[in-house]
Amino acid sequence: MKLNRRDILKAGLSGLSMTAGTALRVGVFGRAAAAIAAEAESNGKILVVLELSGGNDGLNTLVPYGDDAYYKHRPKIGLPKKTLLPIDDHFGFNRGMVGFERLYKDGKLAIVHGCGYENPSFSHFSSMAYWQTAAPNSGEQYGWVGRLADTIAPDAPPNFIVNIDTHQSLAVRSRRHVPVVFDDPNKFSRESFFDENAVFKATPDNGKVANPAREFLLDTARSAKSASALVQEAWSKYHSPVDYGIVGLDLPKVAALIEAGMPTRLYYTAYRNNAFDTHVFQNDVHQRLLTYASDSVSAFMKDLQRIGRADDVVLMAFSEFGRRVPENVSLGTDHGAANLMFVAGNQVKGGHYGQIPSLAKLDEGDNLLHTTDFRRVYATMISGWLGHRDTRELLNGDFEPFDMFPRKA
Amino acid sequence: MRRVDSLAAILAVAGALAVSPALLAQTAGPAAWQNDLTPISAKDWNRDFAAHLLERAGFGGTPAEIDALAKMTPAQAIARLVRYEGTDISHLPPFDESGIRDPGLEPFPPSRPAVTDMAKKNGEALGIKVKPSGNRPLQPIVDEFFYWLRASALETNRVAYWWANRMLTSPRPLQEKMALFWHGHYAVNEPKVRDYRKLLAELQLYENHGTGNFRDLMVAMAEDPGMLTFLDAGVNVKGAPNENFAREIMEMFTMGVGHYTEKDIREAARAFTGWNYVDLKFVVNKDKHDDGEKTFLGKTGRFDGVDIIDIIMQQPVTADYIAGKLYRFFVRENLSPEYQKKLGSVLRDSHYEIAPLLEAMFLSRDFYSPASVGTHIKSPVELAVSTYKKLGLENIPGEPDFNSATAALGQRLFSPPTVAGWAGGRSWITPGLLLERGNFARDVLFPDINFVAPDRVAASEEVRRVADRIREGKDITTATKPDTKGGEMAESNMAADRDEDFNTRYGSFRGSQLALERVKPIPRDTAQLHLAKMVLAENPQNTTQVVDYLIRRFMRVPPSNDVRHELVAFLDRELGTSDISLAKTYLEQPLRLVLHLIMSQPEYQLS
Repeated sequence: MKLNRRDILKAGLSGLSMTAGTALRVGVFGRAAAAIAAEAESNGKILVVLELSGGNDGLNTLVPYGDDAYYKHRPKIGLPKKTLLPIDDHFGFNRGMVGFERLYKDGKLAIVHGCGYENPSFSHFSSMAYWQTAAPNSGEQYGWVGRLADTIAPDAPPNFIVNIDTHQSLAVRSRRHVPVVFDDPNKFSRESFFDENAVFKATPDNGKVANPAREFLLDTARSAKSASALVQEAWSKYHSPVDYGIVGLDLPKVAALIEAGMPTRLYYTAYRNNAFDTHVFQNDVHQRLLTYASDSVSAFMKDLQRIGRADDVVLMAFSEFGRRVPENVSLGTDHGAANLMFVAGNQVKGGHYGQIPSLAKLDEGDNLLHTTDFRRVYATMISGWLGHRDTRELLNGDFEPFDMFPRKA
Repeated sequence: MRRVDSLAAILAVAGALAVSPALLAQTAGPAAWQNDLTPISAKDWNRDFAAHLLERAGFGGTPAEIDALAKMTPAQAIARLVRYEGTDISHLPPFDESGIRDPGLEPFPPSRPAVTDMAKKNGEALGIKVKPSGNRPLQPIVDEFFYWLRASALETNRVAYWWANRMLTSPRPLQEKMALFWHGHYAVNEPKVRDYRKLLAELQLYENHGTGNFRDLMVAMAEDPGMLTFLDAGVNVKGAPNENFAREIMEMFTMGVGHYTEKDIREAARAFTGWNYVDLKFVVNKDKHDDGEKTFLGKTGRFDGVDIIDIIMQQPVTADYIAGKLYRFFVRENLSPEYQKKLGSVLRDSHYEIAPLLEAMFLSRDFYSPASVGTHIKSPVELAVSTYKKLGLENIPGEPDFNSATAALGQRLFSPPTVAGWAGGRSWITPGLLLERGNFARDVLFPDINFVAPDRVAASEEVRRVADRIREGKDITTATKPDTKGGEMAESNMAADRDEDFNTRYGSFRGSQLALERVKPIPRDTAQLHLAKMVLAENPQNTTQVVDYLIRRFMRVPPSNDVRHELVAFLDRELGTSDISLAKTYLEQPLRLVLHLIMSQPEYQLS
């Protein structure tokens, strides 16, 4: 069956009694949904999600140096006050994070404390899947970014979601959208001979085929066709003087696409390959990882300023879990639970959000007890930033957004 | 099978080349065969089934190889692939070592800071003494550290080439396919282990025991130095267990999440305390082993690691988990829980012998049902090796570089991205990667005249820049200044050059230079292709027959009829005629273009 726009809107409203209904009712709901969708679709706000994979050690990222319990739990790898970049009389950033310190002092960085969920999983893969689907301890098959796109842009315009990575993240898996996924923009092109172009230009097959793997490949081929030329052109025109540091992550690519006016509203990218999984000798390597991430994020903000889109973009960073509060004997830390999240951007009201978790009262496995359901931060992005008010259905529950974007309202 | 008989009849009448478009598709059994573990009978067997078997239990085949299997009964064909011990492979060469190992490298420290700390403390490290005075007294040690990192990585690329050649040429293709499965299952990677010898030893373990007993393989892997390095087992000691190893054994290697508690993980970690390695040998440090009583999955005793593995093997879910993973690798992604349990029983009944389960899977009706045939998305390594197979090549070309090409598609041998291995299935395909697959085919069919061998050049821009400046006669400090493109320097770039006992960037350059000297180069021959000869041997009359032949030879799932017509029209234009007899003398280039178009089709990714 081929869905038309009205069918899609109908499906998008599955929460409202959609039992066939009269033509009139469908029409009314259809218009309302179209209006809501159009509003969200047209406000031009962009969300960039940065995943810090491997479980970033939040306690050595923003160090609670004012709390003696921190040093009791971490006699060897606890970071002394004098090495930190203090932001107040309780917290200091890891000294590798000059960029984050500056963002914070400029009032453009929100720090959300104690983010986690009930019955936390200590497996990278399970916990990451819970964060990526916004559905802890459940088998949800679509990602939260994908569902968000389905909700705010139900007619699935091309290039709405971009995921820069070597493989598609579960987070962007969508019912209607085919996310644009690429790694190296220079390679995101078909190298063809002139004579072959007539054949390549022919539109890939449309419509249903019996073999689902083949259908998936045909969908992907269509998306590749529509996105590759745009991405290539954006990347070749991108010449930024901003230094993103040694690693840079994929944020220069995001900046290039934003500068080129790509219609993408949702970007998803990662510090890849479980980089933050610091079980052994963590301090040197962890500081380096943080520096790379901090360099890249702060450079991205500068770059957006240069491009003139700083008011339209917000970046949210998370990790699948924090790490165990006490250090292990290998001068590292094991998988933990609650953690920090960061939100950066011109329009963000900087500061601390959420309740700071206690270092004295831990769970039975010596982990921080979460004080903020991480879906509250998602709800903040969805409603506070992107302007889609009803997050209940999308997130399968009521999660109160933080008041993080006062200037926008 | 009526369907098969009628196909044979049509083929007999029409002749092999005059295939009607509908029959370009490979035959599958009836839909009712799905989830049916009943063995197919000899009368069900046909050439398409043989081709399907060879795709999955190996890396595909040439028409001659498919014909050979098609002539056997299904049971014989499957036994030929699975029970390969009798097939001689003594003609395959052993790995040709470069000889890069220096004495003194063991124990290899976990990071550059750890090396220089060790050197400052002991006056030497990596078998090299600190200079008594002068500038940068630790430099030779830092050079040696980077030398080994680069040399081991390059030698690992040579091991990968050696392995890929075995995949292409071994008369026991399933042995190599199983090794690929286990490599993805245990997912040990070179960037963490940083010692090609440990990875080579693991590969040989997979090759020698891949279809043997899973319990024995699991014990061998738990005692394997590569694995012990990979999961930091060495730091798991009495009184302060490190859970990483125990967790991954349960979550990734045997049971999957949800079948044990966090307490089970902590108890199991205690049982593995003291497990370590010295160079390439497994050791148990008795003084670091916790010999006390543990309670694990409901059992209590003074367990050690092997006891833990044996208790895991008693859990019914373990057989289900492994059988399910094998099924997804060899058959298809979608697996019903009921069918998974059936497969698990086969594995349990054989006491974890892998070969009987493989035989049951490959012989089953389910394996030949439409849900299974032509629905597997080839992994990058499968794609590359099977492309070379179908082209009839006898070795893996040095150009394009096998490792870079498969890495660009998402799969580099000895470098799985995480402990979960490669996700497989649809995750192999993104819009970017789909285009890149077509580009790979182009690099095979039309060698890049500007090709540079990746093992002969600097590994990064930074190393190249330092090398250039050193050649220009610059001092080390000037030569190693980072390039900031005129903008404000990022924190990481400012921090890199602070210690004056040594220069990290210079060490990285010097280490690469030493490695270049000592690691043997990979031969850089291009694919030797003779498509005109291959096609003319079939005696085609017109361009339609040529396109249909290529589709049948190279694709498991044909493109739509529209695309097929486009391909024929394209070949007509390139040849200036549809009559092959007029175009015999200039066929090669146009055929390569058509084959590039075929290999760029979404359907070419399916097996």
